[in-house]
Amino acid sequence: MRRAFSVLIKLYQTWISPAFAPRCKYYPSCSTYASDAVTEYGAKGLAMAAWRLIRCNPWSHGGVDYVLTKSSKTPIKALTTSMNGRN
Amino acid sequence: MGSILNPLYYAVSWVMVTFHSLLGNIFGKDGNQSIRWSLSIIGLVIVIRIILIPLFVKQIKSQRALTALQPHMKEIQKKHKDDRQKQSEEMMKLYKEHKTNPLASCFPILAQAPIFFALFTVLNGIARNTSHGVLKGDLLLSAQEAKFFGANLSNTFLSSDSNTQTKIVTVILIAFMSATTFITQRQLMVKGMPKMDSSNNMMLQQQKIMLYVFPLIFAVSGVNFPVGVLIYWSTTNLWTFGQQFYVIKRNPTPGSPAYEELAKKRALKNSENGVLPTADENETTQVDPPIEAPKQRQQPSKKKKKRK
Repeated sequence: MRRAFSVLIKLYQTWISPAFAPRCKYYPSCSTYASDAVTEYGAKGLAMAAWRLIRCNPWSHGGVDYVLTKSSKTPIKALTTSMNGRN
Repeated sequence: MGSILNPLYYAVSWVMVTFHSLLGNIFGKDGNQSIRWSLSIIGLVIVIRIILIPLFVKQIKSQRALTALQPHMKEIQKKHKDDRQKQSEEMMKLYKEHKTNPLASCFPILAQAPIFFALFTVLNGIARNTSHGVLKGDLLLSAQEAKFFGANLSNTFLSSDSNTQTKIVTVILIAFMSATTFITQRQLMVKGMPKMDSSNNMMLQQQKIMLYVFPLIFAVSGVNFPVGVLIYWSTTNLWTFGQQFYVIKRNPTPGSPAYEELAKKRALKNSENGVLPTADENETTQVDPPIEAPKQRQQPSKKKKKRK
């Protein structure tokens, strides 16, 4: 299940999002965040991803926002890398 | 799902019915149902895009605020030349610190999705003779007869009763959607955005996607969509293009090729006329901070930054 989700996001990042100009206000982008969150937290990660997408709105200022690991609460930095500023 | 979207069905059908009756004053009450219903879908696009304009203006404003941050941005790019992750991180931190973010977020696209879905349902309702919102009774009957270049608004490419005319119209609309998406995104990448080291690579990937993947996606989804939805999609694409064209020509993002072009053009014009740049022109074309009379121009722009 988690794998399937990551593959879906990878497909999106390879085949859909590059066609649009970068638009995500956060780093890493919402799609990378979603992939990391679901890989780390499963279903709870899905809710985290949804919340991130809601936070990424015209009234937010964005910023750096990594998913933290369950165990040590350190940011997940290298699981999936997408291009700068994409969704 | 239906009950959550019920208010949207009302909103969408109300806008369409209102345009339909207003257009009756121009095209006559009885005839011209086709043109009135087609134009009412275009009217729906216009209403929604006008509602979204403030968001667009907000984004343009924060893009202009970037002019002041350019020295910082260059510094970051230089400092973390080989570490793209660190570079992006620092860039985002900078935006946050200055409470300005030039990126649009997904919201403008996501906000349109439910409306799109509601229109889809309302138009499908026309084909199935079920009413949604205020589109019922005689209105529903007249909408069933409405055609766009001979294709029923509620008909899809794949539906059993679609004629050759419908198939031709859907194919043309799908081609139009692909073309407008292509032109809009290409213009933005080539002219509207600050140059990046990776832009060549990105551009190649983008072109591949837009030439092959997008028409495919549009074709696969488009054959299932009623003609009316395709009209909505095409019109909203056209609007996006026009809006972007205007901004790139008149108010480009600092650091983008279009910005340099405009600055050059204005400089040339000024030197030809032998006039000094006026305050108004300075605001949009300035690359460096003003050297003379800074009080007059700097103050308003500083206030703007604080507000965000």
